[in-house]
Amino acid sequence: MQHLANLNELRGQAGEIAIKVEGLSHVYPGADGGVPALADIDMSVGKGRFVVIVGPSGCGKTSLLMMMAGLRRQSQGRILCLGQPIPEPDPQRVGVVFQEASLFPWLSTLDNIEFPLSLRGMPRAERRRRSQAMLSLVGLEGFGERYPHELSGGMKQRVSIARGLVQDPPVLLMDEPFAALDEQTRMTMGHELLRIWSTARKTVVFVTHSLTEAVYLADEVLVMSPRPGRLIDHIEVGLPRPRTYEMMATEVFGKLRNRIWQQIRKTV
Amino acid sequence: MTRLQIILTRLALLALVLGAWELLPRSGVVNPLLLPPLSEVMAMLANLLGRPNVHEAVAVTALEVLVAFIIAVPLGAAAGILLAENEYFGEIFKPMLFYVFSIPKSIFLPMFILVFGIGFQQKVAYAAFTTAFVVLMSATAAVESVRSDHIMVARSYGASRTQILWRVYVPSMLPILLETLRISMIFNFTGVMIAEMYASRTGIGHLISNWGENFQMPQLFAGVIMLSAVAILFNEAVRALEARCSTWRT
Repeated sequence: MQHLANLNELRGQAGEIAIKVEGLSHVYPGADGGVPALADIDMSVGKGRFVVIVGPSGCGKTSLLMMMAGLRRQSQGRILCLGQPIPEPDPQRVGVVFQEASLFPWLSTLDNIEFPLSLRGMPRAERRRRSQAMLSLVGLEGFGERYPHELSGGMKQRVSIARGLVQDPPVLLMDEPFAALDEQTRMTMGHELLRIWSTARKTVVFVTHSLTEAVYLADEVLVMSPRPGRLIDHIEVGLPRPRTYEMMATEVFGKLRNRIWQQIRKTV
Repeated sequence: MTRLQIILTRLALLALVLGAWELLPRSGVVNPLLLPPLSEVMAMLANLLGRPNVHEAVAVTALEVLVAFIIAVPLGAAAGILLAENEYFGEIFKPMLFYVFSIPKSIFLPMFILVFGIGFQQKVAYAAFTTAFVVLMSATAAVESVRSDHIMVARSYGASRTQILWRVYVPSMLPILLETLRISMIFNFTGVMIAEMYASRTGIGHLISNWGENFQMPQLFAGVIMLSAVAILFNEAVRALEARCSTWRT
């Protein structure tokens, strides 16, 4: 209960906004005026919150996340990350975890985690100290010298999370990070992520198409419609933390899950 | 089979072939005029390695191979990377190059002779021409082997263009580039040999072709052994390097 209290305290500052999206629309250029991908997105993510965006495949949720990361430009509207626009990637503010772990196969686990630091030219000793700390945070002590092809899918995603956190950015954006994992690993990883989140205290925006994952992880769930993606529902998940697997069997959990499903079903 | 068994079996097969090479011509099963016994060929090889005209031929051929390689590899690689990276160039030139690639290059040899004569330049030009195509094709494949999600990761962590080149492109492409180096050398060597055997006054290919025409089989086979040794040595050296640089490629 100790860290529950801490988290609530953190949310006490919830007046502060980490990410604000205003009037965002996006059209992929092409013949006939292009393909509309995102329409009229307005949202804000409070500091320290765990927000999950859920929606059907191809609804533009990944595009939205990439725009928050400064990796893609929107056609209209603006995104403020910690009060400032983010026209290009800024690893000091935002860490990104991708769908495939996307580790560099020619680098060892520790070198992969250190990659963002080495781009900044941080001295090797300092880099090692930080990457070792991240390695234990994600529970992979002893695997530092292994190469990605020697790791399981779940372990790779842990490394990828460690890489996302190594610069200690206040915001972590996660694009369906567990989509490629099997069901059991996926559940364990979700649980692990919540543990890491409660230690590292980041603002997390997490994209998924799994309804169970959404309810299990989130403080808030944002539901998106099929293309062009719009936000069609905003759900506060009132479940207490730390979350347990038992909660998934509760009525509250089922109702929340069902509400999201109904929203998505209406639009498909 | 264990590793040792495999190696022993390979050695046994090699011994069998070499033994047959020695015994079949000696026993008269195979005409020794067409296939001289191995011992005779090896004695001839030792003899040839002491002859000044062979030294000269080897030096000429080695220089041709080297110069053609030095011209063809950067040229082919640059063109291949340009083709893969620049959408515009790719669209225009890719189909044409694929058409040309399918044509046997040796049919252009008479044109090379008309333009360059039958000396050093013609050998280099022809070998570089055949090799550049192979390098070009492989370099294109090397660029295309760079995964876009890796570039995305590097960008998301604030990598500059130069950093992306050195930290993502180069390590991604290295295994294929080394493979290219190895395979292009095979084509390059072949190019020089064909040009030398077709029309030439010197070079090891010229000697081999002469020995063949004059029915000097021990010399011919000694030449073949010499060339094979050099080619295999180069190939294996690059392959060892390749294996070291691509342990992650599974």
